[in-house]
Amino acid sequence: MSARLQIGGLRVAYGQAEAVAVESLVVEPGTLAGVIGANGAGKSTLINAVANWSRAEPRISGSVRLDGEELTGLSADQHVRRGVQLVPEGRGVFMGLSVEENLKAVARPGGSHGGRSYAVEDVYALFPRLRERRTNLAGSLSGGERQMLAVGRALRMAPKLLLLDEPSIGLAPRLVSTLLATIRELVEGGLTVLLVEQNVHAAAEVTDVLHLLERGRVVAAGTVAEMRNDPRIVEAYLGASHG
Amino acid sequence: MNVAQQLVNGIIIGHAYALVAVGWTLLLGAARLVNFGHGQMYMIGAFVAWWVMAATGLPYPVAVVAAVLLGAVLGAVMQRLFLRLTLSQDLVSLMIVTLGFGQALEGAAGLAFGPKPQTLASPFQEMSVHLGPVWFTVQDAILVGATILVFAGLYLALHRSWLGAAVRMVAEDPRLTTLGGLRVSRIYMGIFAFEGAAVAFAAALVAPRTPILTSMGFDQVVMTFVVVVLGGIGSVLGSYVAGLGIGLFTALFGALVSPAYTTAAVFALLIAAMVLRPGSLAASGSFAR
Amino acid sequence: MTHPLTRLALAALLAAAGFLLPTLLGGSTLVYDTLVAIAIFAAMSYGLDVILSDLGEISLVHTAFFATGAYAAAILTVTYGLGAWVALAGAVLAALSLALVLGVITLRTREFAFSLVTYAAAVVCMNVASNWDFLGGSDGIVGIPPLDLSIGPLELTAGRSAEFWPFAYLLLLLTLYVVHRFRRSRLGQAALMVHMNPRLATMCGLDSNRIRLQVFLLSAVISAAAGWLYAFQRAYVGTDLFETYFLVLMLTGVILAGRRILLGPLLGTALLLSQKSFASLGAYGDKLVLGVVLVAVLCLCPRGLASLWPKVRGFKRRPAQAQAQAQAAAGAATTEIPAASTRHA
Repeated sequence: MSARLQIGGLRVAYGQAEAVAVESLVVEPGTLAGVIGANGAGKSTLINAVANWSRAEPRISGSVRLDGEELTGLSADQHVRRGVQLVPEGRGVFMGLSVEENLKAVARPGGSHGGRSYAVEDVYALFPRLRERRTNLAGSLSGGERQMLAVGRALRMAPKLLLLDEPSIGLAPRLVSTLLATIRELVEGGLTVLLVEQNVHAAAEVTDVLHLLERGRVVAAGTVAEMRNDPRIVEAYLGASHG
Repeated sequence: MNVAQQLVNGIIIGHAYALVAVGWTLLLGAARLVNFGHGQMYMIGAFVAWWVMAATGLPYPVAVVAAVLLGAVLGAVMQRLFLRLTLSQDLVSLMIVTLGFGQALEGAAGLAFGPKPQTLASPFQEMSVHLGPVWFTVQDAILVGATILVFAGLYLALHRSWLGAAVRMVAEDPRLTTLGGLRVSRIYMGIFAFEGAAVAFAAALVAPRTPILTSMGFDQVVMTFVVVVLGGIGSVLGSYVAGLGIGLFTALFGALVSPAYTTAAVFALLIAAMVLRPGSLAASGSFAR
Repeated sequence: MTHPLTRLALAALLAAAGFLLPTLLGGSTLVYDTLVAIAIFAAMSYGLDVILSDLGEISLVHTAFFATGAYAAAILTVTYGLGAWVALAGAVLAALSLALVLGVITLRTREFAFSLVTYAAAVVCMNVASNWDFLGGSDGIVGIPPLDLSIGPLELTAGRSAEFWPFAYLLLLLTLYVVHRFRRSRLGQAALMVHMNPRLATMCGLDSNRIRLQVFLLSAVISAAAGWLYAFQRAYVGTDLFETYFLVLMLTGVILAGRRILLGPLLGTALLLSQKSFASLGAYGDKLVLGVVLVAVLCLCPRGLASLWPKVRGFKRRPAQAQAQAQAAAGAATTEIPAASTRHA
């Protein structure tokens, strides 16, 4: 059986500047993989390239396979319809639409590609807070609520692979752990997730595998336990509290 | 002078302004596209309706439908041409390209329909209704009714339907819309086709009031500029209110002050509004309620 | 880079060759008329060019500046019997006052709000011109005397066509020189920075409103001077000066070759007017051609025809812009200043 996501020789460049060069990165089905790294290491560029979604239209080459099927060359909306769902960094919701409209206005959910489909009610069951605010405009939500809505909206399209770009950004620590715990629950239920995080502590709590990105290259990878024993990671990212 | 009659005239003209502006309001709100070819699209709509009646002898209602269909096709052609510029939001090039599009339409219409003024003859223009001190034609009544229907329909579609939500998504953030699995180019196609169909529909209903010329282009619809801007960019209800207000203003100004300077007065009003509240003109790219 | 003296000599040679162009093309009246029209309309286009290329806005009121120059010339010579020099001063002053008022009104507007208000202004101007008897109303003003720019014993007069060419050509050269100097001046550099990177401009202490206003005034004077000369060439002025055709002609001229190329608007205007003179398809056909050319250029090669020939000197695919884009994309979170934006020349 092939991996859920298999990246090979992926290069992403803006003009002359190469932002990402990842030789190999694999995510197995039903696991939560994390990509960690410093600010500017190319984490967002990488995850956006997997979904072929970017505001700056970079040049992308190499191979991105979903369950063995090649995705490079497909447009962003085709990725979505094949089950690759990105929640971009920052605002992944439409401020001018209500919570419920945000959840409803997506392409025909529960397509034939085999991901678990979530009805609007299922999303509310997962994030009860959203049900309370269903008629409010997304623009009036708090940062945490917005992030829940963005994840809920992504689930509506029945993803096989959920790509999360820094969901913790700007959130209070307690909210971060709640949100990541929910993501972990989803993974236990069978979802496959690739999570990009700058908050290494939080990511290490929930992920199965970690990839360390530096200047666009994967410089270390392994299970969380293995990474905890890697002195480079401990020194640079996990700090004394875990040492 | 009959003030009541002037008020009625103002209401009718106001609805005409609003109906001519409605497609553009959606286009501006959803795609941030200032269509300087709008006037020529109006002219084409009127001439297509005229040509259908003159060349084939089909009745007026059929001509209206034909104009609307061709308008939608014209809108779709615009989308094919301008999609790249719309997606990259190259606003400067977009404005210029619509001016060129209008110029090409005007040249083509001149070659096809000739330089002579024509009359789009609606049978309803001959029927009039007298109510006490005021009168209006059946065509006027149809125009007012159709305008109200179009505006109500658009408002409901935008705020109550799935499709409307998709349009508002594109207006807010086209890139993010693709992450909902939606094809942005298709939504744009709908928006552009609506612009073309709406302005042709407006032309078919409004044009019987005056002779039509292929060179009338923007002169006929300059007021829609003001309607769209004063109504608040992209606001559907706003442009209805603004259209009605400007209709009343032009009717009363024309009757009480000077008919020759009416256009200048309305534009002076626009400039005054710009100076007093420039913030209202920010291209927010979303639909104010 | 070539030696400055070589470049100067080259420019002088080109200028001299340009002057002899009508003779080289056979010297017929049609050739002279066309070239005079090209020179005048190209000069007019440069007014719009500095707004479009250097400020990045679309002004739709430049037909009104052009008309202001022409009307001022007509009124001062016909109604008041004054000379051409006084008329020139009047044209410049009138355009400056109009531009000052409009500039102040539009200072805080950007993008299509700016275009809409300038369009509104053009409509108001046309409306006033066609209704105000002082401006000749819808009949316009006829009987403008031949151009007479004699200074003391130096006799400088021109009737029609061939005699007119030196004056039109001189105006064009002068305009080119002014635009060239402008792009190298502090104001030109500042305008570009305000256009490309408003935030950086503010941080550098540039007052963007003042810069925008100054560029607007300069552009109005350029277009008005062209209008002034056009009044003498045509011997009458009328409301047709406000026609959208002129506006689209200007815009196409500026866009056709590519933005921020000194000779771009001249080449664009020359192409368009040559088609009109030598291969005319009638008024409607010409309009169609103009519109189709404009749409085709913007949709197929939005950077202008020069971008198809990347080796054209001085045209370097806007490196600053591309770099700034890449930086913004690569380091979305970091707020580095794309310093490259300032390095234009």
